[in-house]
Amino acid sequence: MAAAAAAESGTPREEDGLGGEAATPQPQAPTNAPGARLSRLPLARVKALVKADPDVTLAGQEAIFILARAAELFVETIAKDAYCCAQQGKRKTLQRRDLDNAIEAVDEFAFLEGTLD
Amino acid sequence: MAERPEDLNLPNAVITRIIKEALPDGVNISKEARSAISRAASVFVLYATSCANNFAMKGKRKTLNASDVLSAMEEMEFQRFIVPLKEALEAYRREQKGKKEASEQKKKDKDKKTDSEEQDKNRDEDNDEDEERLEEEEQNEEEEVDN
Repeated sequence: MAAAAAAESGTPREEDGLGGEAATPQPQAPTNAPGARLSRLPLARVKALVKADPDVTLAGQEAIFILARAAELFVETIAKDAYCCAQQGKRKTLQRRDLDNAIEAVDEFAFLEGTLD
Repeated sequence: MAERPEDLNLPNAVITRIIKEALPDGVNISKEARSAISRAASVFVLYATSCANNFAMKGKRKTLNASDVLSAMEEMEFQRFIVPLKEALEAYRREQKGKKEASEQKKKDKDKKTDSEEQDKNRDEDNDEDEERLEEEEQNEEEEVDN
């Protein structure tokens, strides 16, 4: 009973919405479903890369998706490793040479040597 | 547009966003570094594809599947990616399953409706509109001739 009375009397002013504190438009793409942010890279572009390989006949949708996700993880990883180099130089901007250093230093990035020029 | 494999880049905006979110706030990235990372990502995909394809061929399959890619990650010494990739794959499969069930449900609902009646109505309306248009065109032509 008390709860009902409180609901009637209390109309929150915030809901009047004069638009003073409208939500700032976010540059991110709208996420409709909770699981929508599975992959940010467009699968079509990843598929184009996969098809560029003359030995590949077909690639399943799941394979394309995992490749896209792996590429994202790769970008995060290499960015962080390159940042370690920049930090040592007390810089706050990642430069091309930081990337080159990371590629030389980290074994897993060896496949990139000579490919970025 | 020449499409060499190395030129197929992933969208800059997305790459930049991934980089920024991986790094602490206030850290910037030069244009050269960003485009180099983008290129590296393309090379990564090409290399991973090639590795995965080897596994598919070993299994005498012509279609690359998810496990081929996971095996490729291990081969490329990116084992740390395997667990997050498996989790992402499970979430993706669940989402695909949900989508499939939703579209199948829609199909069933559509079939239940009597579509034939609706089609007949639309046809009659279209004929009336066409006749009106023809009459207008004829009038216009007459006016031009007079002038």
